Amino acid sequence: MQSTRNGGLEKFKKIGKTEEESPLPFPELPPDVVEMKVKEGSKIRNLMCFAVSRMEGESTRQIVFSGSGRAVTKTITCVEIMKRKVGGLHQVTKLRYQSLREVWESREQREPKGENLTVHKNVPSICILLSKDPLDPQQHGYQPPESLTGLWTPEEDFIEEASLSLRGAKRPLLSPSPESGSKRLSVEPPQHLVD
Amino acid sequence: MADGGVTLAQHREIDPAEFTLRKRLPRKLPQRRNDVYVNMKTDFRAQLARCQRLLEGGEFNEICIHGLGLAINRAINIALQLQGNGLGALRLAPNTSTVELVDDLEPETDQGEPVSRTRNNSAIHIKVFRADPQ
Repeated sequence: MQSTRNGGLEKFKKIGKTEEESPLPFPELPPDVVEMKVKEGSKIRNLMCFAVSRMEGESTRQIVFSGSGRAVTKTITCVEIMKRKVGGLHQVTKLRYQSLREVWESREQREPKGENLTVHKNVPSICILLSKDPLDPQQHGYQPPESLTGLWTPEEDFIEEASLSLRGAKRPLLSPSPESGSKRLSVEPPQHLVD
Repeated sequence: MADGGVTLAQHREIDPAEFTLRKRLPRKLPQRRNDVYVNMKTDFRAQLARCQRLLEGGEFNEICIHGLGLAINRAINIALQLQGNGLGALRLAPNTSTVELVDDLEPETDQGEPVSRTRNNSAIHIKVFRADPQ
């Protein structure tokens, strides 16, 4: 294809799109686990209404959010909102490429129409598991529940940043987290908890 | 950076005739030498190469790639490509968080008062490290 601004696709119209199905990358998931498939056009309000009401029920212990391409950021936003609404959730985040196949048809009116075009894309995708029950903290991408009262005072913020500037030193555990044993200090992001 | 005036909680629309929007930089974030903050302005390949150099340099066992908002996808792409190039020896450990951002609305008219509003953005933090040799 000539390299034009749109990648040479101005004369075509998308007529089909299929995503390759792949199993969720979490070990020992119940087969009926709720999976929220986030799309680019999904409305967060609608997703969260459904997801939160399921998680508020005692019997639902886990939920998965997944999304790819332009929906990745929205997927993370849903997870962050869920963690604020339902506290004490353990999280595992997995990243991988998702295979996409798009079929484009020629826009040209005259006969014979050009051939259809099949485009293969590998888009970044994300799968996030949230669980009321503890998960294996040794799993890559594990994140312990954020402490609900972890609202940093300005002095605590300052102390953490000062200690972070020590090269090679592990960060001291400042937030009053109950699972101090399982926190992976080297990967903890700054805790900007806002409500 | 102006911090005068009122803080609007959830006000969505601003009148462009009344205010100019200025996004404040996010809070000062930790910057160890192996922290890489991905952005949408610098060339993708340059950011990928920088991460590659940090990993291959041997000074660190791990690097941490951070992406905020739109840069989340790019951060994930870089991490996955590093893993793809790393001959199977690299592991990824992503974490997510919410970052609070503040916009300063500067009044266009002389009568207006500066106003701030806060909003949240999602962020991703991906630790990239060598798997222990078995």
